[in-house]
Amino acid sequence: MTIAELVDSSVTVEFAHLDEQSKRVIRRAILTAVAVPGYQVPFASQEMPVARGWGSGGLQVTLAAIGPNDVIKVIDQGDDDGINAANLRRLIVATTDVEETTDAREATIIQSRHRIPEEPLTSAQLLVLQVPVPEVLRGVERDMNEMRRMHAESDYSKMWVSLYEDLVRNGVVTASTGYPVLVNGRYVMATTPIPRWDIPQLDNAEFLTLFGAGREKRIYAIPPHTKVEPLTFDDVAFEVEITPGATCLLCATSDTYLIEVPSHHGWICSDTDFCTRKRQDNV
Amino acid sequence: MEQSNLSSREPVLEVRDLRKDFTIHVIGRHVEALNGVNLTVGAGEHVALIGQSGAGKSTLLRCVWRSYRPTSGHVWLRQRDGAQIDLATADDREVADIRRQQIGYVGQFLRAEPRRSVLEVVARAGIRRGAHEDDATDQAVTALREVAIGEDLWGTSPVVLSGGEQQRINLAAGTLYPPHLLLLDEPVASLDAGNRQRVLERIGHLARDGVAVLSVFHDLEAVRQLATRVVALCDGNVVADGAPNEVLELVAS
Amino acid sequence: MSEWALHVEGLTKWYGSTLACRDVGFTVAAGEAIGIIGESGSGKSTALRCIAGDVRASSGRVLLQKEGGAIDLLELSDAERRGLRVDTLSIVFQDPSEGLDLRVTAGGNIAERLTAAGWRNFSAIRSRARDLLDRVDVPIDRMDDLVETFSGGMRQRVQLAKAVANEPSLLLLDEPTTGLDASVAAGVLDLIRSLLETTRVTAVVVSHDMSVISMLTSRAIVMHQGHVVEAGLTDQLFEDPQHAYTQQLVSAARG
Repeated sequence: MTIAELVDSSVTVEFAHLDEQSKRVIRRAILTAVAVPGYQVPFASQEMPVARGWGSGGLQVTLAAIGPNDVIKVIDQGDDDGINAANLRRLIVATTDVEETTDAREATIIQSRHRIPEEPLTSAQLLVLQVPVPEVLRGVERDMNEMRRMHAESDYSKMWVSLYEDLVRNGVVTASTGYPVLVNGRYVMATTPIPRWDIPQLDNAEFLTLFGAGREKRIYAIPPHTKVEPLTFDDVAFEVEITPGATCLLCATSDTYLIEVPSHHGWICSDTDFCTRKRQDNV
Repeated sequence: MEQSNLSSREPVLEVRDLRKDFTIHVIGRHVEALNGVNLTVGAGEHVALIGQSGAGKSTLLRCVWRSYRPTSGHVWLRQRDGAQIDLATADDREVADIRRQQIGYVGQFLRAEPRRSVLEVVARAGIRRGAHEDDATDQAVTALREVAIGEDLWGTSPVVLSGGEQQRINLAAGTLYPPHLLLLDEPVASLDAGNRQRVLERIGHLARDGVAVLSVFHDLEAVRQLATRVVALCDGNVVADGAPNEVLELVAS
Repeated sequence: MSEWALHVEGLTKWYGSTLACRDVGFTVAAGEAIGIIGESGSGKSTALRCIAGDVRASSGRVLLQKEGGAIDLLELSDAERRGLRVDTLSIVFQDPSEGLDLRVTAGGNIAERLTAAGWRNFSAIRSRARDLLDRVDVPIDRMDDLVETFSGGMRQRVQLAKAVANEPSLLLLDEPTTGLDASVAAGVLDLIRSLLETTRVTAVVVSHDMSVISMLTSRAIVMHQGHVVEAGLTDQLFEDPQHAYTQQLVSAARG
């Protein structure tokens, strides 16, 4: 690009759909989020060519962070071929011309709704999670100002009460996706929308996780090597979802997050990439 | 020895020029109830106040207890540690402390404490004076036996008991861990002869053990039995102060 | 004289040009209960809420004795004051819904206070909540029921249990039995009395009802139109009221 083209405002630089100004705004929010782990940073969420609630927040984070040499993987419910995942991936590739992959090991950016890949991620990888409801306190408090105060003062007793009430009423903590975690000993954060199964992966992780909520205009982050503790009482162990005896109908694995297939009276891996490679002995 | 001689000579209570007026603002009425009363009560002394209704006996007791605020004059109390304090002018908080630890007041009526058992009511009085709960309970048991409150009543609430029983419970509570100064306002008014005698005996023991007692009795028989000195009041003035026989004779004539 | 625990001085609150209370002052010893009597509009509840920090005082000092010296509650930040509310200062409101979350169980309400103070063991929290509810005579089989299903008297008992859960050194009671049926109020009053006697907590009791003040406190102040008109030993205020207003109040209570 020539200097003349740069100063000519009629010539727009089209990389990754967003203009540079918008990307800078998002990147600033991302940097703040990384600096204050678990803290929800407000940002000027844009209109995207996907409906809000369909990954527009995650998409903006990915587009602000992506460079020409990245390799992108997009999954929905662990599945690279989900309609939403496929649409988002097409949009990212079309506006950046980056390489796409389904192999979690090859990707440098993984955008996901509902799952973290079973394959342990590395420090060279970025995980972007699409978040529908970023505010962990929404279930226990209605007043926005009060929520802000609770975060500011680390006053999370209402969260503890909701766990207490859950245990009293149901004997177990029933919260599955969106399980609250304490990040870096400071902020309680919603892990929405991943299952409890994936939460241990976030603790002291090698990789950076960015959470983007488009409709709610919030970005938050878990930097690498950050302590992430699921909220649980000392004497009530945090447990991930396990169905005893269940194995994947396709790859026969029992130590992955399995989803039930009622039509076949069995289970299959939620992570389709992992399952496929497992069958090819490529894990 | 020196010190105990000194302390037995110095009065525990010394009332000087005590005046008490009441001003009822709503009806603009002014009443002079005490007009410069002087009296002393030493350790081990039992001073009984006599006089007609309205003479100021109860007013004087209450001024000492400070449920009435003296208008002028002094109510010197020599405390257990020897320190003097003027109850007429002392800070409320200080008076509250001294009341709890050093003064017993037994009126005609027990302040009802719903849902608390007889034994607890009496033991509480000791706990308020700083006694340990177990010890206070032991003392309460002894006191209740002495005033003939049967063991079958210890677990019940005093509010369901008769006036006479309540009065004896009140006395047991007021005299638990003998106070330094004991104020008695008609403590045997509703007792039958037998119980009246038991209560009077307990009071007599206290004075012999060194408690300073200032009392108002309805019947002069009790005064004769217990008082070491009698002070007669009339219209808010002391009209006689001396040995029981002399004063009672004087008043009778 | 015993050490003071709370010292209030010159406490004044204006709402714009309207005076709510002016120059309220008193000192309370550790373990002592003091009363504030007055009718509605006398400024007594405002004074109490200024002490609690729910209402910002216009001027004055509220010194609370703590380990390491006295602190002025009026100089604390909101966050610091809320911190104190966890384990140092509790307030019991006339309306239990102000002090309780009605959509949470009785045990859960107590758990809120305990977890705020750092309790993280579920069975320890359960057992502490059970003890507290037992102490305020809430049947243990109601522990896991939502407070909104409770009667007014029972709610007030839960509020008390929650208020003393972390053994605060200062307990503020704002008309704690007003609005309850007489027999229920008597039970709650009796409970408060025994809590005050057994916990060595320092207390300030606000009530328009002289019998409440008489039952719970040894000393009291009388407020009228925002001012303290008289202070004294509680029985003295009843038996020998000095100020015309106190005399009216007493004769009304006796009538």
